Amino acid sequence: MDQRHDEHVREPIRSPWVWVVMALIVLAGTPLYLPAGVVEPLVFGIPYWMVVSVFFTIAFAALTSWLCLRRWNLVEQREEAAAEAGDGGMSWEI
Amino acid sequence: MGNLSFGGTSGILVLLAYAVIMLVIGYFAGREQPGVRTSVRGYFLAGRGLGFVALFFTLYATQYSGNSVIGYAPEAYRSGFAWWQSVMFMIAVIAVYLVFAPRLYVIAKRESFVTPTDWIRHRFGSTRVSILVAILMLWGLANYLLEQLVAMGQGISGLTGNTVPYQIGVIAFVLVMLTYSWMGGMRAVALTDIMQGIALLIGVGVLLFGSLYLIEGDIGGLTQHVVATAPEKVGVPDMETSVNWLSMIVLIGFGAAVYPHAIQRVYAARSERTLKRSLAIIAWMPFLTTGVVFVVGIVGIKLFPGLSEASSEQLVGMMANEVAGINIFFYLLMILLFGGVIAAIVSTADSALLSLSSVISHDLYGRYINPRSSEQRQVLVGKLVGIAVIAVLLLIAWNPPTTLYNIFVLKFELIVQIAPAFILGLYWDRLRAGPVFWGMLAGALFAGVWTVMGEEELYGVPAGLLGLGINLAIAALGSVAMPRRHDAGEAAAAAKAAAG
Repeated sequence: MDQRHDEHVREPIRSPWVWVVMALIVLAGTPLYLPAGVVEPLVFGIPYWMVVSVFFTIAFAALTSWLCLRRWNLVEQREEAAAEAGDGGMSWEI
Repeated sequence: MGNLSFGGTSGILVLLAYAVIMLVIGYFAGREQPGVRTSVRGYFLAGRGLGFVALFFTLYATQYSGNSVIGYAPEAYRSGFAWWQSVMFMIAVIAVYLVFAPRLYVIAKRESFVTPTDWIRHRFGSTRVSILVAILMLWGLANYLLEQLVAMGQGISGLTGNTVPYQIGVIAFVLVMLTYSWMGGMRAVALTDIMQGIALLIGVGVLLFGSLYLIEGDIGGLTQHVVATAPEKVGVPDMETSVNWLSMIVLIGFGAAVYPHAIQRVYAARSERTLKRSLAIIAWMPFLTTGVVFVVGIVGIKLFPGLSEASSEQLVGMMANEVAGINIFFYLLMILLFGGVIAAIVSTADSALLSLSSVISHDLYGRYINPRSSEQRQVLVGKLVGIAVIAVLLLIAWNPPTTLYNIFVLKFELIVQIAPAFILGLYWDRLRAGPVFWGMLAGALFAGVWTVMGEEELYGVPAGLLGLGINLAIAALGSVAMPRRHDAGEAAAAAKAAAG
């Protein structure tokens, strides 16, 4: 089956805006833009800049994980169909 | 790692139990697997049959070594809150995987690749580029392996209270590792990674639990204490530290993702589905590993103030001693922690060794030295070369170099130079072998010489990243300057194949 026009065929690299967002998240999570040496205010006992960095680190992991699951689908259907047809390669899987 | 007052006999028993489990897993992995002794794909890639659980744990246990615990906690101790970068750069590794793994997986399956060099040879058709890539990979892998051997010896002698001397400990575990790798190849490595990955997770978990117990769970009080005693470790880092933070995200993100044993796990995945589901979860694992170790290092600032750089390297050992002294329950937990650290080291070392064997046997021996050799012979050569390399590295390991983290950065300085050929080659047809070769060579020489000369970083940017910039500029500008070819290149063919 030719899946070239299948809307489910996806590759992370082909979503440029996602990588722009990711770069912005990484930049936001790195305290380049904050005044050096400042500790306060504390949020839940932790310096505010650390809370900001942790927030964007979570966003970084979430976006990366989302890309894996929702923006990556090149040969899955073909492989699953082949596996169902009994051509699944090795018989063992853990 | 310092000697632990608790170690001794119970430590030896835990290590023995771990060794027996690894050997049993290796035995069954080899016994049930067809073609493990006769086929390079069977031995080095587990016949491309790694399912979700095995793939997840082998990616995890390979990416995180014992150094992620015993080397990173002292880093957090010395750098303070800025070491949160270790969580970000470990996520970055997965983000970089996403740049190339989806397409490379499809091509590798179609072309039956065994080593990363197979892709380079397929894409550029150039002997000099392939050999340079192989040399850079071997250098990186050997250094990586050496670091694991050093850490393994220190960990074992620490855990057993020096009952088992450094050298004997390393040799014993190296023999265990070589035995199960010999019996079951990649499948044995991946299946032992399940046990080793779980041991690491438990170990890191109990270290966090013990550390928080020592400060009575008072995180707010911990921060206030650090603010009062070491404000430079808790305030917004200066510009140079922040630039270095960002640089490490790029350097380790690209460097770790193109490590040969990392790429071979992409090849070994049973299906795209298993690969992407494994990576989707691994994107969160830095919080449970380097994130936890970060907290432990910060706790150390309160518990052991004023340690010198050399003394701080012993931080995990010191904390384990404190925690083990609470009662018998914590004592047993700390035994588990060190067992986990040893398991993590072994799991990283076995992956690096298998990958190193595959590059020598498949890319050098099978390609240039004896091209007519059978696959069975190549597998055998790979195994024997692996043993020889380990023997040489052990001799070097008897005189361990400076702090662990410095060796870690050194590896990435060179290995990251293969990234443009690897990744850009997938997407950009005009990228040509000549400029790629000269770019890679210039980048590697620049980074290597800069580091060996002991030059300071330039405004927080490591030499490896500067070398990567030079490398990329030569490869890209050189390719643009060359006349266009009329044939459709591999990048176009790959895009077509990926599209269906």
